[in-house]
Amino acid sequence: MTQEVSLRSVSLGVVGMTCNSCVQSIEQHIGSLSGVIHIKVSLEQRNATIIFDSNRQSPESLSEAIEDMGFDSSLSESIP
Amino acid sequence: MTKYEFQVEMTCEGCSGAISRILSKQEGVKFEIDLPKKLVWIESDKDSDFLLEVLKKSGKKVTYNGTK
Repeated sequence: MTQEVSLRSVSLGVVGMTCNSCVQSIEQHIGSLSGVIHIKVSLEQRNATIIFDSNRQSPESLSEAIEDMGFDSSLSESIP
Repeated sequence: MTKYEFQVEMTCEGCSGAISRILSKQEGVKFEIDLPKKLVWIESDKDSDFLLEVLKKSGKKVTYNGTK
């Protein structure tokens, strides 16, 4: 059985990270959510680029997940 | 109010800032953070399991040390 997967990529602004351990905890936590295929967090650019299955996550739900972790997150741009 | 002590794997101000933002969103919670000792003290009427779940949202390793 094949499952419909529709991939999307989004870049979210993340404010409040100051070191690599912040970066790593976001990558691990968000990367383990269902529907998240790949995540790259940049400390210098203060953003997170996430490739995800749009059937299971949305830019809003991902931004909320980052906010739950205690960082300010904003939807900056999304590449369809 | 009960005072609980938690050990949280915080390595920088970004980590402790994240913890304090999470706790500020909770009502009826007073807290103090000691970054060098990696300790968080929380004064609240809520039970320790609830507070543990709140702290775990940060994605960091959290252990409950008991009441103070």
